[in-house]
Amino acid sequence: MALLQISEPGAVADQPAERKLALGIDLGTTNSLVAYVSGGDVKVLPDEQGNVCLPSVVHFGVNGTLVGSEADALAISAPHDTIASAKRYLGRSRAELASSGYTKLSETGLAFETSQGPVTPVEVSAQLLGALRDRAQSSTSTPIAGVVITVPAYFDDAQRLATRQAAELSGLNVLRLLNEPTAAAVAYGLDSGEEGVVVVYDLGGGTFDVSILRLERGVFEVLATGGDSTLGGDDFDLRLVDIIRDQAALGALDAAEERALLSCARSTKEALTTVSEIEVKLDAVVSGGKTVVVTRQQFNSACADLVNRSLDACRQCVADAGVSHIDQIVLVGGSTRMPIIGEVVSTLFGKEPLNSIDPDRVVAMGAARQADLLVGNRDAQDLLLLDVIPLSLGVETYGGLVERIVPRNTTIPVARAQEFTTAKDGQTGLIVHVVQGERERVEDCRSLATFELSGIPPMVAGAARLEVTFQVDADGLLEVRAKEATTQVTASVIVKPAFGLAEDDIAAMLRAGYEHASEDMHARQLAEAKVDAEQLIAGIQAALTSDGDLLSDSEREALETAVNGLVEASQNNDIDDLRKSIDVTGRASELLAARRMDRSIKLALGGISVATLEGEAES
Amino acid sequence: MPEVAEGFVGAPKDYFELFQLEPKFDVNIDDLGERFRTLQRRFHPDRYSSGSAAEQRLAAQVSADINAGYQALKDPITRAGHMLELQACDLRTLERQPVSGDFLMQQMHFREAVELLDPSDDEGKSKLAAEAKALMTAELLSFQKAIEKRDYELAGFAWVHLLYLQKLNKEVAGSSDLF
Repeated sequence: MALLQISEPGAVADQPAERKLALGIDLGTTNSLVAYVSGGDVKVLPDEQGNVCLPSVVHFGVNGTLVGSEADALAISAPHDTIASAKRYLGRSRAELASSGYTKLSETGLAFETSQGPVTPVEVSAQLLGALRDRAQSSTSTPIAGVVITVPAYFDDAQRLATRQAAELSGLNVLRLLNEPTAAAVAYGLDSGEEGVVVVYDLGGGTFDVSILRLERGVFEVLATGGDSTLGGDDFDLRLVDIIRDQAALGALDAAEERALLSCARSTKEALTTVSEIEVKLDAVVSGGKTVVVTRQQFNSACADLVNRSLDACRQCVADAGVSHIDQIVLVGGSTRMPIIGEVVSTLFGKEPLNSIDPDRVVAMGAARQADLLVGNRDAQDLLLLDVIPLSLGVETYGGLVERIVPRNTTIPVARAQEFTTAKDGQTGLIVHVVQGERERVEDCRSLATFELSGIPPMVAGAARLEVTFQVDADGLLEVRAKEATTQVTASVIVKPAFGLAEDDIAAMLRAGYEHASEDMHARQLAEAKVDAEQLIAGIQAALTSDGDLLSDSEREALETAVNGLVEASQNNDIDDLRKSIDVTGRASELLAARRMDRSIKLALGGISVATLEGEAES
Repeated sequence: MPEVAEGFVGAPKDYFELFQLEPKFDVNIDDLGERFRTLQRRFHPDRYSSGSAAEQRLAAQVSADINAGYQALKDPITRAGHMLELQACDLRTLERQPVSGDFLMQQMHFREAVELLDPSDDEGKSKLAAEAKALMTAELLSFQKAIEKRDYELAGFAWVHLLYLQKLNKEVAGSSDLF
């Protein structure tokens, strides 16, 4: 229980003896994987056929929904009902999707038009997550306490929020969104136990990420991250499609033939990782068939610009991290199997990349480690990840310019306050437009949210003091609060996704989902809430025993009343009442928690110089 | 449309106190890093992921303070700014105070030399870089002396000079030569 950890360095309070189960999920553009820690090792879970990769494809047909390879098999025969690479569209606006050339957009909004009606990218992702959850649940009877889902480091706020929504929709408790390169570094770092500066080059199906981390005594500190959210293995596939189309002089193809050509290009790409030249048979693409020869050299030169884009991002990241040397290189993502990638990356950094872990599995494995830690399994406690915000946050000011509030590569969590003022006499409202990106002009950045601060008392221009606080949590998600300083008029704004689903939509979808949910779902929730209540009570009681002196008699009495209420509530089976009581008691304990936090900051650093001298920090 | 207001928000937090360091300009970076990691190991929200909502909020707040403090103290120039803030100096006002003519002349000469430099002249480049660095070191020393003597006006001047020199150093160094 966290409350107790505050005042007892190194000691973890009484915890339920059994290990909790937490999943690490790599929700990829092309493939998705699920893993968990069991007996100290990470298990990547296969399906019944023994495949660990679940193709990130969902089929929404007239006869029902299919996920994974079954859906993929229908990609050619039913292209409009079969959604692949949905991750590319997560958290994107309709305008962005339209310009991507995607044709399956619904007229009603941001969705793909299928036989089952419009389907959003969030719903597609939720189906994938659900399939992975079922896979995990069929291999163990332990209930799933929570999941860590990986996202490209370069994902902006809207894309992260959409990922979280997908998890909510599939009924999963998200412990954390974890950046993919960070997850990979964790998997390698814990595997080798080596320390130093690591660069992670992560070329996924749809995104490219690069991160530079420093590993020191169990602390993984991300120094800088960068990448290109529109560069991925899929782009290499398309180059190969062009080569084949040219060589075979193919005419206009229908949707099914295009799919066949793409899948042909993919297998050609895979073949070219081991051979330098291959005969490509186009029997599945055009009637009568055709055969062309494609060389690795041809492929490499057609992709040179893509490769260079990734290298530019690497150079920028090294400059941002301010490091003078690199100790290790980690390659992540199936696309890094292309020989050209290994070659250029070794040349750039002057080191051979590590390759002891399967690049397809490494992200899920790292996520599983982090999930195991976050769920409170005690043997995982010596690992800590310090990640950064990938893109700067700012607000629009006069002339369409961006005032940067939180620069990129700032370690999260972060809270920054900035003061604004009114421009006109008597101005009573102020519109704050929050953007994310590195460019100077608003129109070149990603628009995250717009909110209005109203009810400002009329004053002369420049007299109002509007304090806007930007808070980015450990998931990289933003919350904005605003307050007029002289009059204390406040407006708290949780940044809503500018695109994607509204909260109400999610609630409606969840309700629809629950209609199918059985009684045991309810029973499980009740059991979980009771465990939460027990832990909270035990934690508060322990805290009162060790640090009760921090409260006055009346403060102590108020807390004890809340605890007694919770004890009572946990004996009944009213889940809503219990949850409310947990919330009330949690709030009542805030004061004690805050004072103990203050006390323990001083305790935490006691003896640090000794620890430093001995080269052994307390963990 | 908001305008950025003058001044800063609230009273600054004393990061020396947070890290339990003497409020001195001379900070041992390795020791600071060790303190930073020790604090984060204890207070990062990850440590409270199974705690109550209140604890999680609190941990996020404390962890954000630790991050901000580390950023402020790690770099000598931001550290200098922080020390001035702790003496109730307004950095935005300080930033705009005029610098001496001599200092400006020196800066201009330096900039000219940088501009005139042949990009392939590695020797000339490293010579200029060394000179810019030496200027920085000297200015850091005068800041340290001024702050030790509690001469905050002088320290404020030194800090502004440091901002100029920081820009200069960046220009001379250009992009990383390493990769």
